[in-house]
Amino acid sequence: MSTRAPGIHSAIPTAIFELKGVTVRYGALAALQDVSLRIEAGERVALIGPSGAGKSTLLGVLNGSVAPTGGEVRLLGRDVARLSARALRQVQRQIGTVYQQFNLTPNLSVIHNVNAGHLGRWSLAKAAFSLVIPLERETAARALENVGIADKLYERTSHLSGGQQQRVAIARVLVQDPVAILADEPISSIDPERSREIMTLLRELCDRLNKTLVVSLHALEYAYSHCDRIIGLREGRVLFDLPVGQVTPAMVETLYRIRA
Amino acid sequence: MSSSLSSTPRATTWAPQPLRSFLKGGRLVAIVTLLAVAWSAIQAGLFRGDLINVGGWALVRQFFAAALRPELSPDFLLLTLEATLVTFAYAISGLALSLVIGFVGGLLSSEVWWLSRRPHRQSPTATLGSPWLIARSALAVPRAIHEAIWGLFLVRILGLDPLVAILALGLPFGAITAKVFSEILDETPRDALHALLNGGAPPARAMLYGLLPRALPNLTSYSFYRLECAIRSATVLGVIGAGGLGYQILLSLQSLRYQEMWTLMAALLVLSGLTDWLSAHIRHALGAPTRLDVNLGADCAAEAAVRARATSGSRALAVLLAAAAVLTPLSLWYVQPDLGKLFAPRTTMLLGDMLRQMFPPDLSPANVVTLFSLSAQTLAMSVFAIALAGLFGILLAYPAAHPARRARGAMLAYSAVRVFLLFCRAIPAPVWALLILFVMFPGPLPGALAIAVHNLGILGRLIAEAVENADKRPAAALRHAGASSAQAFLYGTLPITLPQSLAYIFYRWEIGMRETVIVGFVGAGGLGRLLTEQLSSFDYGGVTATLIALLILTFIVDLLSTAARRAIR
Repeated sequence: MSTRAPGIHSAIPTAIFELKGVTVRYGALAALQDVSLRIEAGERVALIGPSGAGKSTLLGVLNGSVAPTGGEVRLLGRDVARLSARALRQVQRQIGTVYQQFNLTPNLSVIHNVNAGHLGRWSLAKAAFSLVIPLERETAARALENVGIADKLYERTSHLSGGQQQRVAIARVLVQDPVAILADEPISSIDPERSREIMTLLRELCDRLNKTLVVSLHALEYAYSHCDRIIGLREGRVLFDLPVGQVTPAMVETLYRIRA
Repeated sequence: MSSSLSSTPRATTWAPQPLRSFLKGGRLVAIVTLLAVAWSAIQAGLFRGDLINVGGWALVRQFFAAALRPELSPDFLLLTLEATLVTFAYAISGLALSLVIGFVGGLLSSEVWWLSRRPHRQSPTATLGSPWLIARSALAVPRAIHEAIWGLFLVRILGLDPLVAILALGLPFGAITAKVFSEILDETPRDALHALLNGGAPPARAMLYGLLPRALPNLTSYSFYRLECAIRSATVLGVIGAGGLGYQILLSLQSLRYQEMWTLMAALLVLSGLTDWLSAHIRHALGAPTRLDVNLGADCAAEAAVRARATSGSRALAVLLAAAAVLTPLSLWYVQPDLGKLFAPRTTMLLGDMLRQMFPPDLSPANVVTLFSLSAQTLAMSVFAIALAGLFGILLAYPAAHPARRARGAMLAYSAVRVFLLFCRAIPAPVWALLILFVMFPGPLPGALAIAVHNLGILGRLIAEAVENADKRPAAALRHAGASSAQAFLYGTLPITLPQSLAYIFYRWEIGMRETVIVGFVGAGGLGRLLTEQLSSFDYGGVTATLIALLILTFIVDLLSTAARRAIR
């Protein structure tokens, strides 16, 4: 499906994400059908498409939480079908995800939600102790500074606005320190003025810290302004997969056209 | 033409369709319930002659006259204080054990724990082999057996030791708590948990940060509700010999020293009232004002974590943890259980002996016939008792709900009804049974009445809380539109609170069913009385058969109650 030149791929041994003919079925419903794509280190990829096109499922495949019913998925070069639960967790630690609904624990302080990024490395005892007396405060404070809410370290998370909570979720991913950041509609639950800030923050952090970014979006303007490559999904299939400059209005119209 | 088209199909389906829709859901439950209540009234012996023992009225007069002159000598007050402390210490020790069992058991019987361990299987369907369902059914048996029965068994194995009361309280309470904890965990939103699991966090750590903090207000709130229950149960265990307030009340009652009894009951009232009051305040601070969500649709309780007032909520939690850390060892020290007995060879030997005698159960035809008729009697007792308690509970709950405007009349009625309800529930059902037996001849009816009075106190309070927490806007809108308070109540308040109230009533039916046993101990009929006789004559084969009958009955009642609560949801 990829329309990128195959020669580039063969030069680099392992992609961050590599999907070959991936299908995901939920009962009779095919959420993804025969999807093949490669995402290289440092790319900024936008996933667009109408509701129910399979964007969230694709992101689920990319972070290892959705097992494909068919095809081959390689995350950081490892074939997920062959991984034990423990080995899969090792891979997942290298992939951070930001969600539309933030997926934070609302009644914990911000610092604990940010520290949750450490859980893949911390022991259970250390994690439990930190809930009483927060550990590695400097790392958490630095992460919050990076997302622009340094003063909220000990605030109760549910007291923050939507935009601030999304910043906390991004800080959690920064503490996790993954190779790639996935974002599932990160600005859909945030008021429009804050959306640009969040998108710019994500893009800048990925540039500065040299991380790969895959973000699903409803707002097309951010796909054009903040990403280099756009993948159009419709009914579980990849309709196009092109650098931003090559995506034409006609393609986008086909993507969102209501079927007669 | 159009009329013939539309009328033809209607004519063919007219008869069955309305009947089917008439019998659907709530109405079917209503009809079955009414029939069951009528049957239970007949079974319990309501229409038999010779119910009232006229000779007993003199005793009742003496009993109430004594209320004005409670025994206040320093010696007796000291004894009362000691008995109160014993009951409280039993409750705390038993509760602590039950919370440990409840937490571990709750985790093991929750779906979310097992799914977190293998998050990569999509849309897992529960099968009979699902580990959480296996854990849940393993907990069903200890849950179905009343604390008092546990107590009677344990006392034969461990001897008269405070350990008996702690275990008798902790084991069934632990199983009940495990069930509710697992439900709370499963109903807590999983988005944060999934985010952490997807980021490669191991299951236990992901739950510690993503799920448990969010479930904690509800878990704590329920634990406090269990403390209220634990005080009541510790009193009942006292009645059957574990000491404390229940035991002293029984002694005073049997020796007809009513002045002493009123002093002890006042202590029980204070202890019970303080616990209930503290529990209500703490649950409110935690943002989980509903005591227990038995309506099966716990969406309202699930987000207590979000609703809680942040500062007071976390402060309350900190205080609670500190209190638990101090009170539990203190209570254990006060009652001095002999933990060594748990591992003593004599204990193992006695347990083995008892188990050998218990099997095979006595399933001779004659015994099975007896068990059937006594099961029917026991079921009738529970239905009749809870129907009475529910009816009066609903009637009393509305004046017992905190009035919106603090008019003097409403506040007076509120306080009076609240104290009355507290009195009803603070006195254990077996003590009520003994009091009622002053004026009634023994049989299932006085037993049912005792359960009814005790549960009235609990149901009235539960329903009053539901009324307090109900959405006030519909009734206010009606009043603003010119409806009278009575009309606003009928169309605005009652429809909102009735489903919750009925759910509570069905839930208490499950408890009432278990309580028939303890009023049976004091001679009030049903399977409980048979069990007492078998235990005192060491007929262990018969005991096993009776326990099996009780278990079956309990499971049937639980199933019916769950189905009914689901239908009226």
